[in-house]
Amino acid sequence: MALTFFLFFFILLFTMVPLSQVWTVASYVIGKKLKGVKRYPLVLMLEPLFRCNLACAGCGKIQYPDHILNRRLTPEQCWAAAEECGAPIVSIAGGEPLVHKEIDRIVEGLIRMKRYIYLCSNALLLKKRLDLFKPSKYLTFSIHLDGLKEEHDESVCREGVYETAVEGIKEAVKRGFRVTINSTLFDGVNPERVRAFFDEAMRLGIEGIMVSPGYSYQKAPDQEHFLQRNKTKELFKQILKDRKKSWKFNLSPLFLEFLQGNIEYDCTPWGNPTYNVFGWQKPCYLLQDGYAKSFKELMESTPWEKYGFRSGNPKCANCMVHSGYEATAVNDTFGSWRGFAKTVKATLSL
Amino acid sequence: MGKEKKVLSGEKYVFSNDSQKIEILEAAFDYRGDVTLELVQGQTIEGYLFNRQLTKAPFFVEMLLPGEESARRIPIEEICAVTFSGKDPADGKSYEAWKAKKEKERREEAKKIESEMKQAGLLD
Repeated sequence: MALTFFLFFFILLFTMVPLSQVWTVASYVIGKKLKGVKRYPLVLMLEPLFRCNLACAGCGKIQYPDHILNRRLTPEQCWAAAEECGAPIVSIAGGEPLVHKEIDRIVEGLIRMKRYIYLCSNALLLKKRLDLFKPSKYLTFSIHLDGLKEEHDESVCREGVYETAVEGIKEAVKRGFRVTINSTLFDGVNPERVRAFFDEAMRLGIEGIMVSPGYSYQKAPDQEHFLQRNKTKELFKQILKDRKKSWKFNLSPLFLEFLQGNIEYDCTPWGNPTYNVFGWQKPCYLLQDGYAKSFKELMESTPWEKYGFRSGNPKCANCMVHSGYEATAVNDTFGSWRGFAKTVKATLSL
Repeated sequence: MGKEKKVLSGEKYVFSNDSQKIEILEAAFDYRGDVTLELVQGQTIEGYLFNRQLTKAPFFVEMLLPGEESARRIPIEEICAVTFSGKDPADGKSYEAWKAKKEKERREEAKKIESEMKQAGLLD
């Protein structure tokens, strides 16, 4: 009975997401709750390479010597990480995953494992590489777009990228692939331009929008435009006021409430564990405080109490990124009837 | 080392005590370029230092070396000096170049518009 209710709720919540994905995530989370598992991963962040064909102003992920950028995780390593971690969703990030010569094999294997894959790409190679993939309910291309043409090209420090990405999106949608956009917002963005960008993105026929404030990577080239916590809340309030029905978000409604400052959350750093050429990254997708050899070691040896907003760790002070807080929002939904009621309320207000 | 952001590229540190060693190895872990370790036996190792355990035993650093697939683990008691030998790819120079280019384009665009307006008699 309870499961049926949750399922109904999820259908309501994620109307654009396939029912099987809704069911997989809901039953996974409820299963963990019933077993009393306190810490469990929701999304595996898989970085099979750090090499990228862009050098974006706000990205701190790719600044390494060439011999590191030339390293690749093998498909077997990627599948083993997915198996070890057990998260129902795998986000393939990087670097630019489409640069990896065996990305099609990595994806095929993960689909065989029935993992829901979000392949994060800047789409510069998407049109060329689409033939490598078959449309599947398990595969979504999550395309990096930070705004309309002017804002996006500025954000990725190269002209013409927006147009190429849009072409790639259109082609993928036309061929029946699931496509979302993944948008990172920085200080100084114009809320009205962001709203216009959401209109434009939905017109491309995408499944939904993922949006998040940028994390203040210490190694990112541009250190001037990372959002402070209060500014983030103010910005998202302005963007999401009088939300249009046409906007679909691939995010939990409670996470959107959190971004607007309507709910206070702490981070769930183990929610999106990260595996890359160095191993399992401690503690999260955004911070690099060392590496563990196995997922078990990551979970058992990381001093989790030292991370998150409430820990007072200055590196976490302004972070409101979805890789840390989506899992908190999902946990809130399933943690109590009060959380569940909040989610229903937030869903109905969309 | 101090708390202010210091340009480490090219710097060499020979350890004089344990606390300095920990501090420099932590900086080497944070550094995004290659480093060269000098070992007490006289050997040198150059590579990317991606992991460290400096606050509890066993104390070690881990490095990935060009041309080697597996990581090397080096006990810290074997290390006597560190040189920040590789270029720091996180120095922001390519971004500075992009910003300068955009700024130049904006200035040229403004000049062009100013000139057109003057020709059209809309600006003195």
